[in-house]
Amino acid sequence: MKDWRAIAKASGLEVDPAELNRIAEPLEALEAAFRPLVKDLTPDVEPFTGPCLEENGE
Amino acid sequence: MTIREAADALRARRVSAVELAAAANARIGRLNSKLNAFITVTAEQAREEARQADAELAAGRDRGPLHGIPVAVKDLFATRGVRTTCGSKVYEDFVPAIDAAVVERLRAAGAVMLGKLNMHEMAYGITSANPHFGPVSNPWNLEHSPGGSSGGSGAAVAAQMVYAAMGSDTGGSIRIPAAFCGTVGLKPTYGRVSRYGALPLAYSLDHMGPLARSVRDAAMVLNAIAGHDRRDPTSSRHPVVDYIPDDGCSIRRLRIGFPGNFYFDHLDPGVESSVRGVFARAQSLGAVVKSVRVPDVAALNAVGRVILLAEAAAVAEPFLERREKFGPDVLSLLDQGRLVPATDYINAQRLRRKLSREFDQLWSEVDCLIAPTTPNTAPRIGDAAVRLGGRDEDVRLATTRLVRGINVLGLPALSIPCGLASNGLPIGIQIIGPAWDEALILRIGAALEDGGVGIPACPPA
Repeated sequence: MKDWRAIAKASGLEVDPAELNRIAEPLEALEAAFRPLVKDLTPDVEPFTGPCLEENGE
Repeated sequence: MTIREAADALRARRVSAVELAAAANARIGRLNSKLNAFITVTAEQAREEARQADAELAAGRDRGPLHGIPVAVKDLFATRGVRTTCGSKVYEDFVPAIDAAVVERLRAAGAVMLGKLNMHEMAYGITSANPHFGPVSNPWNLEHSPGGSSGGSGAAVAAQMVYAAMGSDTGGSIRIPAAFCGTVGLKPTYGRVSRYGALPLAYSLDHMGPLARSVRDAAMVLNAIAGHDRRDPTSSRHPVVDYIPDDGCSIRRLRIGFPGNFYFDHLDPGVESSVRGVFARAQSLGAVVKSVRVPDVAALNAVGRVILLAEAAAVAEPFLERREKFGPDVLSLLDQGRLVPATDYINAQRLRRKLSREFDQLWSEVDCLIAPTTPNTAPRIGDAAVRLGGRDEDVRLATTRLVRGINVLGLPALSIPCGLASNGLPIGIQIIGPAWDEALILRIGAALEDGGVGIPACPPA
């Protein structure tokens, strides 16, 4: 699990501790849902480019 | 009165466009102090446009069903010479030199523009409790939120200030206010309606669409605004059709998907019973209701949130040094987005492709999916949490839970009102269809509406 508070500080985000919690807590919850999904990705899966572009073969 | 009824009255000379605009202006004048739906009212401009509409009709120039009809647009659509704030301090003095594509097309269709509608700051939230321009109230109960981010659009249509309003939907922002305010709301397929001139929240998730009093009214607006626009790099050349459902349209033998997983978890009981009633009504109208297992919508939501955080932070980055210009909820989301690594954003887009392919397979089993638009009715203004299924849930995450995934997939979805809860607030269903099949979901919506699914008009605020 990423340390979002440390990442925020390293990114130069200067906010008070309460605000830091308001930023870090939702990211921790999202991380818990997102990270396991990434583990299932195989290298052949390329990024989505939008339905219209996919359809047009662009 | 619907757009069709007003259009018929205009052509029969029972009413003029000037009278329609005057009535709309009077209603806005009477109600806007309570609802705060409009940020800017363009009354004089509307009078002039209405005079021109009448003159054209008298001269035999008929631009179609929107000719002379009062409409308004969310305040993120650029309007030439009229301030466009995006509900934000950042844009409080922004007066565009152009009209957004949607505004151009509405004007070309003869619609009369009544003004610019309040919204959640930067379209980044679902309450429309705007810290800079004041909160929008729900016409059904002024203490409740209209939803958002197109909250002014929902309130203005429900309160009959205008016949239709334009909104944008990045994670439910058309469908949520439609459900909470008891209006119809259409999110077309991504690429169907040009985003040119609409201030972006998240490029790959933003969809433009109408809120209206009826399904056919929403279809009339879509007819006017759909189509390729070379100025929007994601605009599609997919053929445009006539989206207006026929009178007496049928859903006989259509396969309507009932999601057996996810969409009925943790619902308000009133919402659940009302939505289940729609399936019974659809069956009685000859549709075949088929239980299906939908792909992982929780995963879609997580993917959508990563993409939204990153794209919205990228859009707002030039303004983020002026932190005092943002409300606390939006600033917090933008700060979160600045921390999302590029690898997570790219992997979210890869997961999007994978999940999109899985979802596509659903359309071999059913013609559409029907689900609740939101698990709850409109929360009180200021509520941070909502209790559903015995657990407290963040109001933003709860309210977007059933709609966000469809933005990730780019599919068309139509929200229509289907009942009133015991607290007197509207409940909505969403009809989700395959890409580019707006005509199908509008036909299903119209058949349900004709078949009695709906609610009475909102009582005067």
